[in-house]
Amino acid sequence: MNIAVDIVLNSLVLSGVFLIVAIGLNIIYGLSRVMNLAHGSLYALGAYASVTLMSFGANFFVALVIAPVAVALIGLVMERTVIAPMRKRSIVYTLILTYGLMFLLDGLIRYIWGNEPRFVKLPLFLQDTVPILGTQYPVYRLATLVIIAATMAGLMLFLEKTRTGITLRAASTIPEMVSCLGINMKLVHIGAFVLGCAMAGIAGVVAGPLYSIDPVMGHEMLISSFVVIVIGGLGSLRGAVFAALLVGLVQTLAEFFITDLAMVIVYMLMAVILAFMPRGLLGEGRFE
Amino acid sequence: MRGKILALAIVVLCLAIFPFVVKNRFYVSLINQMLIYGLLAMSLDVLLGYTGLLSFMHNAYLGAGAYLVGLFLLHVSPSSLWLTLLVGVLGTLILALPVGWVQVRTGGLAFALLTLAFGMMFFTVAWKWYSVTGGDDGLMGVPHPDISFFGMVAGNTGNPVAMYLLTLGVVLLCFLLTWRIVHSPFGAVLEAIRENEARASFVGINVRKYKLLGWLLACGLAGMSGGLFILWRGYIGPTTMSAFAGAGVLMMVLLGGMGSLWGPFVGAGIFILMQDYISTMTEHWELFVGLVVILLVLFLPRGFVGLGDYVMRFRKE
Repeated sequence: MNIAVDIVLNSLVLSGVFLIVAIGLNIIYGLSRVMNLAHGSLYALGAYASVTLMSFGANFFVALVIAPVAVALIGLVMERTVIAPMRKRSIVYTLILTYGLMFLLDGLIRYIWGNEPRFVKLPLFLQDTVPILGTQYPVYRLATLVIIAATMAGLMLFLEKTRTGITLRAASTIPEMVSCLGINMKLVHIGAFVLGCAMAGIAGVVAGPLYSIDPVMGHEMLISSFVVIVIGGLGSLRGAVFAALLVGLVQTLAEFFITDLAMVIVYMLMAVILAFMPRGLLGEGRFE
Repeated sequence: MRGKILALAIVVLCLAIFPFVVKNRFYVSLINQMLIYGLLAMSLDVLLGYTGLLSFMHNAYLGAGAYLVGLFLLHVSPSSLWLTLLVGVLGTLILALPVGWVQVRTGGLAFALLTLAFGMMFFTVAWKWYSVTGGDDGLMGVPHPDISFFGMVAGNTGNPVAMYLLTLGVVLLCFLLTWRIVHSPFGAVLEAIRENEARASFVGINVRKYKLLGWLLACGLAGMSGGLFILWRGYIGPTTMSAFAGAGVLMMVLLGGMGSLWGPFVGAGIFILMQDYISTMTEHWELFVGLVVILLVLFLPRGFVGLGDYVMRFRKE
């Protein structure tokens, strides 16, 4: 019974992190048709940025706010210099380009922070464990769920109630129309990209204390988040929610029972779903 | 056409006498490596340049071929060269078939993502299945069979010069075979799929079937390169199957130029030279690869082959 509670809560936490990363990726893809393979590295950068910020004395919550902004700025630079010129070319080139960016950023991480894993010190009140339904569960993980829920709520509010958010959603459905309405599409693309990167940054900061911070964390998250967005349907935000829950659960269970080959199960899941439901679980995905 | 055959003959001749002129084992081994990776890069070009399908981890099939050949030599028959190469290629094809079957049902983007996921799956299996693949340590002590034709022994694969010549021969055969295939109606279908999948299907082409066939061709060639790889090196480990190595193969194709069969060989040569040179200077090889890929895509998307065209245009004016 205790273990079941642990598993369920752990999988919720994992799903939550996947969700934030996947939504960021989907926002960028849905709008710019750019599959940002460097997304995992941006996630890692978020975590490393929080390490550095906290080593300068900043507290965890301050880092939670500043690190995503830093990552978003990096994303802005990336978008303007490298991604914008590629938008008109075939998708093969954009994929290879962002693949190159991934290595560039990963190499940068190794260069700046070295190969050894890093650790983040949590504020005292988050370090304890709390009894829940018969098991002692770390407060921090519960806090993570709260942070993630808050981020999602904020994002939903932004997308549904603010003018900018509505513009973004419209642009991802019919970009030409939005452009006809006199809205500057360049700004829309930049906005989407920056928002997506910020999401990756937030996920990175939050995940830092949960899983280890090392130079390969980006790769693992990248592949998992692909699985999530492919299963949920490329570009579908709602699909990402269900997919994140599914993948989080499957991965947590697989890791608990099989450990070593856990990821293989996850990949098989993706393969099976793609084979029979190429548009994703909800059928909303873009089939490109 | 005549000119091309002549050029090819000259290149092959130079390559063939190379190990007898340059006695240094290191260089012979280096060119050998370039030929093997050239074959792998060419197979990726069949997939990417001709069929338009991007694969991030094509090296997974080099790895598959290498492990299969290695395991065969270690556990079944340490001395049959041709049989083991055949087993390697067939085994790789058997592995590639279900993967390809799933992958061709999807479009370009999802296809590429799936190659990444499946590639990582192969990598994870190679890394974790310690009892079979030796895990992190890889397969070691792989025996070196003799190279024999109809009972006459011509050399041993452990001998650098003999291995080099074997590689040259096999790679040349594969090159000619592939050249013949892509310049046939089959190849034209692949190119049609690359240009416009929808239109190809309107003309009545069974797009999925041809994508799968193109995929199998590419993976079979990769498997052969894997077999040659392990014979050359005597060792295979999971690093050769990593995502980073996969980027390397992609870079070779980019460097050399997509859509020509010889371009990737040039790309492989350049890449391996760079790798050798740069890794002695800095351990931040990853950073450099990323940067070069980005610059290539931005400024030189057609690679080395494209450079040739650029020069030709200059000369005409």
